[in-house]
Amino acid sequence: MRKILLVAKRDYLQAIRSKAFLFALIAAPIIGGGSFLGLAVMKAKPDIQDRRVVIVDRTGVAAATVIEAAAERNRDDLLDKITGRQVRPRYIFETAAPGDANPNTLRLALSDRIRRRELFAFVEIGSDALHPVKVDNPDKMPESSRVDYYSNGAAIDESLSWISGAVNDGLRRARLTQLGVDHSKFSDVLGSTKLQTMSLIVKDEKTGDIQEARKKSELEGFVVPFVFVMLLVMIVLFAVGPVLGAVAEDKMQRVFEMLLASATPFELIVGKVLASVGLSLTSSAVYVIGGLFVLQGMAMMGLAPLSLIPWFLIYVIAEVTVLCAMATALGAACASPSDAQHLAMLLFAPVLIPMFLLTPIMQQPNGGLALSLSLFPPFTPVLMMMRQAMPSGIPMWQPFAGLIGTIAWTLAVAWAAARIFRIGILMQGKTPSLPELMRWAVRG
Amino acid sequence: MDAIEIQGVTKSFGTVTAVNDLSLRVPEGAVYGFIGPNGSGKTTTLRMIVNIFYPDSGIVRVFGQEVGGDRSSQIGYLPEERGVYRRMEVRSLLEFYGELRGGRNVTADVNAWLDRFELSHCAKRKVETLSKGMSQKVQFIAAVVPEPKLLILDEPFTGLDPVSAEVLRAAILDLRRRGVTVILSTHDMNTAESLCDYILMIYRGQKVLDGTLESIQEQYGNDTIRVSTAAGIESLRELPGTETIRDLGHVQEIRMARGCDPQDLLRALVARTRVNSFSVTKPSLHDIFIRIAGHETEVEAAQHA
Repeated sequence: MRKILLVAKRDYLQAIRSKAFLFALIAAPIIGGGSFLGLAVMKAKPDIQDRRVVIVDRTGVAAATVIEAAAERNRDDLLDKITGRQVRPRYIFETAAPGDANPNTLRLALSDRIRRRELFAFVEIGSDALHPVKVDNPDKMPESSRVDYYSNGAAIDESLSWISGAVNDGLRRARLTQLGVDHSKFSDVLGSTKLQTMSLIVKDEKTGDIQEARKKSELEGFVVPFVFVMLLVMIVLFAVGPVLGAVAEDKMQRVFEMLLASATPFELIVGKVLASVGLSLTSSAVYVIGGLFVLQGMAMMGLAPLSLIPWFLIYVIAEVTVLCAMATALGAACASPSDAQHLAMLLFAPVLIPMFLLTPIMQQPNGGLALSLSLFPPFTPVLMMMRQAMPSGIPMWQPFAGLIGTIAWTLAVAWAAARIFRIGILMQGKTPSLPELMRWAVRG
Repeated sequence: MDAIEIQGVTKSFGTVTAVNDLSLRVPEGAVYGFIGPNGSGKTTTLRMIVNIFYPDSGIVRVFGQEVGGDRSSQIGYLPEERGVYRRMEVRSLLEFYGELRGGRNVTADVNAWLDRFELSHCAKRKVETLSKGMSQKVQFIAAVVPEPKLLILDEPFTGLDPVSAEVLRAAILDLRRRGVTVILSTHDMNTAESLCDYILMIYRGQKVLDGTLESIQEQYGNDTIRVSTAAGIESLRELPGTETIRDLGHVQEIRMARGCDPQDLLRALVARTRVNSFSVTKPSLHDIFIRIAGHETEVEAAQHA
């Protein structure tokens, strides 16, 4: 144990005194804060250039109501209610007669206008769009029942949602007109109501009073889990990122043979893992304590999920242990630091893959996919952390079941890593293939 | 008690047998030289002694203790492929290595060795800023702090200038005087001859020589003549009774053919040129090395041809 601690102390002090670590520690919140600042700047300076949209109406009645709905939306949404500044582009609708010729001729002409930036988009309303045929598969909807949208914009462009709202509003108005509803009643019939999200009601344990629910921000349910996950991933990358290259470089400079005369490979690898865990806990302490101070300063301490912090630290330790053991083994197996860089993606897969799964899991945090993926040991730290931080919470047994799997996984990886490290560390000249690494791990 | 006892040790890597049924004993307090061509199994044997490699079969005992026990505090090791953490300060590095092996504070030992090697002024410098010679001295100190009972040096003089080499040589002899057993792996036959009490030659993983220099030379007898003539090497061409001639510049070394009388050879030489010096002697370690490794290499080349 003495030798393990000595190796850990050396690696920890060497890393924590390095400019790279200090830079990363300071730069990460600045970069994170900078991106939020960038979003705020983008919001403050929106693109408000007029957008021209052509409607090709094959119903003969919908165009007018769509234009009327768009005009109302322009009037209501164009300006910020408080500052009076324009915050959205104005959508200017015009019509184009469908004609009897080949529809593609008109579509091509309008597409060319979009390419020449004379138009932003054009919408083609099918002849039966007011009363479309019922089909089980929306992809098999006949062209005459569809409303097609042609644009160069991205699929997630805000304009699509705006224009879609205006078109649907316009179609509803046309239907109401056909039903003989008085035009002056349209705003009553079509008016929409926004749902206000509220916190759950709780009873004060001391006084027995039932406390008032508070209004919740729409972002609240998203921000806490997102911040936890980003912090976890960031701290893990800081602690483990340099290990792979450092071990490969030390190997290239023949550092290990002299060390191996004094300490076993297991003592060296465990010492390195402990150093990385120490680094990650240092970063965690800085960010968690700093974050709490910021929340307190903003009088938002109620947002701080203090009960999750122990779980956060457990997941940080587990993830760093697994990845650092893997990094040490892979670094020892590599013939050069550049080879090690190529393996970085493989090493960080357990934290990067769950990042791509965040959206579906946030949408259904207690669904089957979310549960099974968060119980898959390599993904447990990131995904279970996120599910625990969601407002809906998860059953108490799940984090403990995940923890058992994570501990078993950590021990298995550390065991295999020590075997790979022992063989790889004195080999020179050739980086082994993946099957060779597996063989080293299994046979020793 | 022997410092090291190796019995029937074999170590293979895949299909290559690096060390084959090797047995040896290193007496405590001796300087024991390992010689042999590259790839002969010297470093593999040393790595088994320091417990980095485990033998496939056979026994390695260090001070009576078999492989597997924690005996690292007794062994100082300077590997051939040496490297240390280059971004550490010299003193921190030496204290780290010393404490890792010795398990105690080694500041006083480190100071003493830095003084001895005149490196005290470099104690706060990073290793990467040192010259190659200074860096090698630091690596040597890392192997001897705290003072080991067994010191294993794999090519310790490589790359050192004569002054630094002399300082290192003196330090090794000083350690031996204090009772430290030293194993010295070297390609330099002069170093082996002058520094080692015992010499072991490994060739193709097997022991081919083992003993004191005198006992090894005794096996070959007085079959070597060192001669200096006015005509130099030219006067020795096709001289009857010679097996090989090695030109050392002003002196030539002749190995006599079996059964040849040195007096006949001297007479033949005098008939050709003026002889400045002529001495019958035992073969040098270098010559013995060449006879073993060179001969086998020639045989191998002939077989391949």
